[in-house]
Amino acid sequence: MDNNKIKLKLENISQSYITKDNVFTAVSGVSLEVYDREFLVILGPGRCGKSVLLNMIAGIEKPVDGSIFLDGEKINGSDERIGMVFQKLALMPWKTVIENIEFGLKLKGMNKKTRRETTQKYIELVGLEGFEKSYPNQLSGGMKQRVGIARAYTNSPEILLMDEPFGQLDAQTRYAMQDEVLRVWDAEKRTVIFVTNNLEEALYLADRIILLSKCPAHVKESYDINLPRPRNTTDSDFLHLRKLISDNTDLAL
Amino acid sequence: MQKNNVVMSEAERKSFLLNKIYKILPIISVVLLILLWFIAAGAENSNFPSPQEVFLRFITLQQKPIKEFNLFQHIWISLIRVFIALIVSWIIGIAFGILIGWNKKANALFSPVFTAFRSVPPLAWVPLMTMWFGTGEFPKILLVFMGALMPVVVNTQSGIANVAKMYLDVGTIFNANGKQLLIEIAIPSSLDAIFAGIRTSTSAAWMVVLAAEMLGGRSGIGFLIVRGMNSGDYALCLLSMVCIGIVGALLAIMTKYLERLVCPWTIIK
Repeated sequence: MDNNKIKLKLENISQSYITKDNVFTAVSGVSLEVYDREFLVILGPGRCGKSVLLNMIAGIEKPVDGSIFLDGEKINGSDERIGMVFQKLALMPWKTVIENIEFGLKLKGMNKKTRRETTQKYIELVGLEGFEKSYPNQLSGGMKQRVGIARAYTNSPEILLMDEPFGQLDAQTRYAMQDEVLRVWDAEKRTVIFVTNNLEEALYLADRIILLSKCPAHVKESYDINLPRPRNTTDSDFLHLRKLISDNTDLAL
Repeated sequence: MQKNNVVMSEAERKSFLLNKIYKILPIISVVLLILLWFIAAGAENSNFPSPQEVFLRFITLQQKPIKEFNLFQHIWISLIRVFIALIVSWIIGIAFGILIGWNKKANALFSPVFTAFRSVPPLAWVPLMTMWFGTGEFPKILLVFMGALMPVVVNTQSGIANVAKMYLDVGTIFNANGKQLLIEIAIPSSLDAIFAGIRTSTSAAWMVVLAAEMLGGRSGIGFLIVRGMNSGDYALCLLSMVCIGIVGALLAIMTKYLERLVCPWTIIK
């Protein structure tokens, strides 16, 4: 990292839920730092609390313990400097593509004309020209995810959270969307925190990988990935790192 | 045409045929019903009016109106009552449904009473209504309103109370306040549930208005049925029943189109 300014800091974050006759701990004592403009990937086995961690950063869930600092200030709940791309898309079926993308600006009370101008830039950035007036259920999986990405970027967040955004796409679309995300990240220079359970995806995208343990999730290891981009998944350095991280990963039950 | 047939594959021909069958089947059922009607009316010693008699009754009714109204005017009078009651019940029902669906305290306050009221059918109110308001227009419309209100409230309430958390999370991410969550997310995502209520309320209103008219009054399609019954004019009864069926079907089609107009995303696949 040429820029080592700490953007976001998690301090001893824990989350548990009360179940019928037990307390289930999803995240236990996670502390980590995210640098400005970094592409950070949080990697962990399935169902290990990665999404919970991201939801807490986003302010959708409140941690039972620990604090979150953004630019050195403690934050409670959602913050407009943090945006999110959802695993299940969460596009609103009653809104057209453009209405979905401008949703954040509309909530801020921006007038329609300015809104449309700002939105247009991101529609072009993710390649959705011509589909502005379509409804989400007329789009393919990859296009829907582009809408989700554009919606998050249009609100100009300083940190973008992505929760397994490509988990439901077919392999071909997935590769295309990974390149897309890198291209948009490169153009916009925002901090990205990307959650995945796919090691290859993590290695392809990340500046740094945080490896989480199985449930309850805690930070197991942090890897700096200094491979040049675009990365080649059959490159020997790539495969070496892949083996290294893979051997250190807990098996999901 | 000839060329088209050659190009068609086996599967295409099959679906082409199926589509034809789907178009023909409804016609067959209507024709069968009329045929059955002819047979039933033609039986020995039957005083069941035949289709011709019903049609003739229609012509006479146009020439010799009952209580100064011909058939279409009677239907129109019933429809006016339904429309007034429906519009009021939609406005009040949707507003009340949103209130108890969104606000947990309001729900706790109103739900028990509302649930009890809901199980009393509108017609059970007839004696009280008659005592209070007589047999004029107002009690009839009020009865229809009560019949139409319940389905709108119930469906709106369940739609609003069951908004997917995922959509509300999107609102949270963008720092939406409570009012924005309700107007931008909860209400639009419940529109299909609200429309289910509107559809049910429309058919309920059409049934209640006929019953209300049968209990007293001098106009409306329900009145015609009672009139036919009291004077042994069964052709008039049957004629009214046919009209009730046709108008009911037309109302159902109209609400469907209204839904497509208001929620275009539900039909696009």
